Amino acid sequence: MTTVNPAQPIVRLQAEKGRSNLSRSLARLRRHRMALIGALLLLIVILFVLLGSILIPEAESIYNDPSRALQFPSNGHPFGTDVIGRDLLARTVYGGQISLFVGITAMIVQMFVGTLAGLFAGYLGGVIDSVLMRLAEAMLSIPQLFLALIALRIFSDPTQFPDFEFLGRQYSSTMIVIVFVIGLTSWMRVARIVRSVVLSVKEQEYVTAARSVGARDTRIIFRHVLPNCIAPIIVSATLGVAAAILLEAYLGFLGLGVRAPTPTWGNIMGQANSYINQWYYWFFPALFIMLTTLGINFLGDGLRDAFDPRSLR
Amino acid sequence: MVQYIFRRVIQAIPLLFIISFVLFALTNSLGDPLAVFAESRQRPSAAQREALIRRLGLDRPILEQYAIWLVGNDWMQVDVRGDGSEYAPGTRQGVLRGDLGLSFVTRKPAWTRIEERLPMTLTLMIPAYLITLILAVGIGVYSAVRQYSLLDNVVTGLAFFFYSMPIFFIALLTIYIFAVQFSQWGWGGLPIGGTGDGTFGDLLRHMIMPIFCLVAIQLAGYVRFIRSSMVEVLGQDYVRTANAKGLSERNVVTRHALKNAALPLVTLVGLDLPFLLAGAVVTERIFAWPGMGRLFIESFERADIPVMMAILMLLCVLVVIFQILTDIVYTWFDPRIRYYS
Repeated sequence: MTTVNPAQPIVRLQAEKGRSNLSRSLARLRRHRMALIGALLLLIVILFVLLGSILIPEAESIYNDPSRALQFPSNGHPFGTDVIGRDLLARTVYGGQISLFVGITAMIVQMFVGTLAGLFAGYLGGVIDSVLMRLAEAMLSIPQLFLALIALRIFSDPTQFPDFEFLGRQYSSTMIVIVFVIGLTSWMRVARIVRSVVLSVKEQEYVTAARSVGARDTRIIFRHVLPNCIAPIIVSATLGVAAAILLEAYLGFLGLGVRAPTPTWGNIMGQANSYINQWYYWFFPALFIMLTTLGINFLGDGLRDAFDPRSLR
Repeated sequence: MVQYIFRRVIQAIPLLFIISFVLFALTNSLGDPLAVFAESRQRPSAAQREALIRRLGLDRPILEQYAIWLVGNDWMQVDVRGDGSEYAPGTRQGVLRGDLGLSFVTRKPAWTRIEERLPMTLTLMIPAYLITLILAVGIGVYSAVRQYSLLDNVVTGLAFFFYSMPIFFIALLTIYIFAVQFSQWGWGGLPIGGTGDGTFGDLLRHMIMPIFCLVAIQLAGYVRFIRSSMVEVLGQDYVRTANAKGLSERNVVTRHALKNAALPLVTLVGLDLPFLLAGAVVTERIFAWPGMGRLFIESFERADIPVMMAILMLLCVLVVIFQILTDIVYTWFDPRIRYYS
């Protein structure tokens, strides 16, 4: 990245000339009813997961007592108990933390790789462009779930990556592996979107101007081109969290996701799969997955409208 | 045009080779394919195991294995015992000559495994996809023409709702309501899993719930897509012209607007069609449907490399073919598009 010479004051004309694009977009977002509902849903989910972990000790999510297996929701266990008698409320709370963590970090990996690939492919063109885009094409021609399964199996050998402890809680290393697996199998669309924006931006006069005063490629990419890609990046980042949470849930559901002892919404569903009659077993984790993705999709749609006023008619 | 297609095919070939090599290397590092035999009653001895490994060629370097997978080994002698005392001609013909290899698990050709499952997957996926498309065009066009009407708002809301649902949630809810509860209430619930007793009527009864779930989950995306491209087209000058010269609304919508809005839909469908063959892993799992998705998971769990490779390469080849077909259909829908080589 470029460094700014502190002796040279930067005049920010934009800030003084009134509202920037960003603040106008945010104002539009605040008027978007769906986006507000989405944000509210997300807030509910986050509060549930955070307050839950304050009110319920983590041990509760692991403590099992087969004598109280598959109990119907009651005052003691508002969400019921699972097949080996663990409290499902506690598991939904702590599983939710992991699911949200996986969703957000996988999105960061995906955005990082996708944005860089898109920027370089679009800006540099030539061989780098065709190699990166062929790679994206190749990865898009295989269902993501298949790719993720294969990668997950290769990199989640428990002897190579043992469980680890963090802040007094034990986690399965598959949790970290899954973040990278999801992130590295879903960067392609972002790369394509960013690349297409870059292709149009790099023909603009201000890029030519920057180049004519001798700015280096990295400076042009990160100072002049990247800021123009922010809107599509934010939108796909938002939607990327939902996609990552869903993919984690599907992997967990197939019993191939994050391993015990770490609960996630996905692997609770995976265990509950064969207990259709005990609706409370699968209903609550699935409900929270749905609330989260619903909230994210609402918000993402609002963001898209806010950043792209053409779509508001 | 012919030249363009030819060039696209030529371009696709190196890509397919690279994909196949990467996939081959990945699937080969999945684990021990012989672990399956460890569970069987006739557990092989160490010597048998070694002979088996050699016969399957698993002791070879990955590049050599890949070459054999491609072109076969019937033109060379295989060292059966590993010490040069006995040679036998190879038996494999290689993928390039249409031999996808034998399944490690069933010892049947990998292609036979696919042939067994593909029809089942297609009986589920094609009706589901057709219903989705028909409903999506209908609803999408209606809600674009009557923007912000009650139906538009209801449909948009529902679309988001289903779009955000994980498919297993819809599936488990449907099963719980229509199979478990209905039979408890004595309404004769729908059958839960499998494909029935072989009669057509029973097959249909078993298809209702999975198809409902597949449609519910896919519909939303398509409706939103069609709605937004219709909204865009309806704002065009030629639509205003068509309205101004007094054409009926029906005529304007179907002949002028829909035909143009269908163009992006063609791309979407062209990209989605090959994946119908991949089946729906989660849906097939829940409804115990013997389709391609389950075949992949089964082969994956047993490290049945030939079958996995067969499925993956089938998909890759189809994706390439469908991309080219999509380009051709494009020129048919929009005569302004010309491809030059």
